Amino acid sequence: MNTFQMIKAILVLTIIGFIAAFSLSFMNKLTTEPIAKQNQEKKLLSLSLVLPSYTIQKENTVTIDGQPFTYWEASKEENKVVKKAWAFIAEEKGYGGPVQSIVGIDDTGKILGFTILSQSETPGLGARCTEIASNKTFFDHLFKNNGSDTEQIPWFQVQFIGLDINKPINILKKGDWNSTIQNILLQQNAVTAITGATITTKAVTLSIEKGAQKLKKALTLHEVKQ
Amino acid sequence: MDIKILFTILISTIFINNYVFSRILGLCPYLGVSKKLDSAIGMGLAVIFVMTMASFFTFIMYKYVLVPYHIEYLSIIAFIIVIAALVQFVEMVIEKVSTPLYQALGIFLPLITTNCAVLGVAVLNIDSGFASQDFGLLYSVVQGFGGGAGFTIALILMAGIRERLEIAMIPENLKGLPITFITAGLMAISFLGFSGMKIF
Amino acid sequence: MNNYFKEIFKGVWEKNPTFVLGIGMCATLAVSVSISNALWMGVATTFVLIGSNILVSAIRNITPSHIRIPIFIIIIAAFTTIVDLALKAYQPSVYKSLGIFIPLIVVNCIILGRAEEFAAKNTIFNSILDGLGMGLGFTLNLSVLSIIREITGANKLLGYQLIPGMKPALLMILAPGAFFTLGLLLWGMNVIKARTARFKQTE
Repeated sequence: MNTFQMIKAILVLTIIGFIAAFSLSFMNKLTTEPIAKQNQEKKLLSLSLVLPSYTIQKENTVTIDGQPFTYWEASKEENKVVKKAWAFIAEEKGYGGPVQSIVGIDDTGKILGFTILSQSETPGLGARCTEIASNKTFFDHLFKNNGSDTEQIPWFQVQFIGLDINKPINILKKGDWNSTIQNILLQQNAVTAITGATITTKAVTLSIEKGAQKLKKALTLHEVKQ
Repeated sequence: MDIKILFTILISTIFINNYVFSRILGLCPYLGVSKKLDSAIGMGLAVIFVMTMASFFTFIMYKYVLVPYHIEYLSIIAFIIVIAALVQFVEMVIEKVSTPLYQALGIFLPLITTNCAVLGVAVLNIDSGFASQDFGLLYSVVQGFGGGAGFTIALILMAGIRERLEIAMIPENLKGLPITFITAGLMAISFLGFSGMKIF
Repeated sequence: MNNYFKEIFKGVWEKNPTFVLGIGMCATLAVSVSISNALWMGVATTFVLIGSNILVSAIRNITPSHIRIPIFIIIIAAFTTIVDLALKAYQPSVYKSLGIFIPLIVVNCIILGRAEEFAAKNTIFNSILDGLGMGLGFTLNLSVLSIIREITGANKLLGYQLIPGMKPALLMILAPGAFFTLGLLLWGMNVIKARTARFKQTE
């Protein structure tokens, strides 16, 4: 290859690279706003899910043990008494990657709501933590039969509501959750594991326990400052 | 830093999340080169080398070029160019330095650019959130090495089986790819046995 | 008119990427866990395929031949990034469930293979038809695999339960099920081919 050909090749590749980068930066500009909007909407939706009937007061991000920790303060008025609640982001390594969730607790330490933000667990096993238990079949859907579809929150996430974060959260293996075992689980402060995906379940309970400890630290830090 | 984190990454990329049997990555070279044992070993070594180097360079590219200038959206282009250049460069160096090594690996190197396991590990390193961690570079290099090693193990096992299959009595229509896929499925089942394994 | 149909149809049958050419396996196997995944992946890949085919064909006369591969790769990577950003912005749930396999469209051998083999030698219009046909073939393969795997592995179709109370064969939705399904389908294809060949001979 002579010098002229080499210079030509470099020039052509540089021009193509420039055109590609330029058009992509344009595309990026187009999509930045929708992506930010999606994330914002998702955050608000999950906050309203985990803190039902509360209003969010403010969002805080503090550094605990060298890592950023985000939590929200919320409150509501009930019989002229202001009740406080908090929500925080919990994260722990699951089987296929980090499992990130958002947890809402009230002032007594009871979990008000729990929803998983992102996970990359195995389909059919750990990924069932976001599965909505539905009795509606494909044929019901096909014939516009509404069936008995009432559940909107995934069963795995429902069972966390009402648990006490001041006590350790136990894991029982009772098969899939249903409303009949709800009381047994609540008495033992436990959840039932997803069949074949105990690691995912453990990651979730561990992340909640760790997150709750971090929240306590963050709140004491906050009080000291004031 | 914990040494055990490195071990966890290594074991889980080699066995639990094996690139071929669990993540289903890199199938084109896996099916193409697993006919003979010695070429499988050559390809495997080349893939380990390129995946380790690619993890190193793409991570540096992402953390110190793309993130500071807020051009993360260019990461796909940047990664594929880095990988292609790396493969080209490795090929030239090996050719100059060692002729026997070049004869052993040379023909496999160009194939590696389009091996999706290499781009896969570059993307997975970023997805795993290594970029924001203190020892992220080390973690990604270990993940790259483990991915390559897992691919090599899968490739060598398969080549051993396929050499035997050549002389086995198989129904005419099952010969070639169909029986290879069914064998791969059986091997994937045995690799499923590693799932749920707890390290430390 | 007949010619155009032939151009599109060859990707579906005669040069079917998965079953005849044996390329683009990773995406075919990994993404075929559910029909919605399969269709979205098919749409994304077809878009990149048509886009890169148009551009490659448009610049085919001014491309220096010794650096054509890097040029093709940059073009394909640019289109993949466009798909990646668009899905992230407008279909976040699809983006999440396809995950790493969206950036991996770049290394799908079908796209580079068609750019090199067809688009670099043919007119823009024919390249569009070729991309459309190959994309259709790819989507069809993905759909066939995913229908089998979703029904057997999850007892679901389009995300809805099929037979209440029936436990699915989990294996089919995991990686081994992908290998088995494709192996058995390839076997079936071989049987059909052998039968038709014998039939033609006796005629």
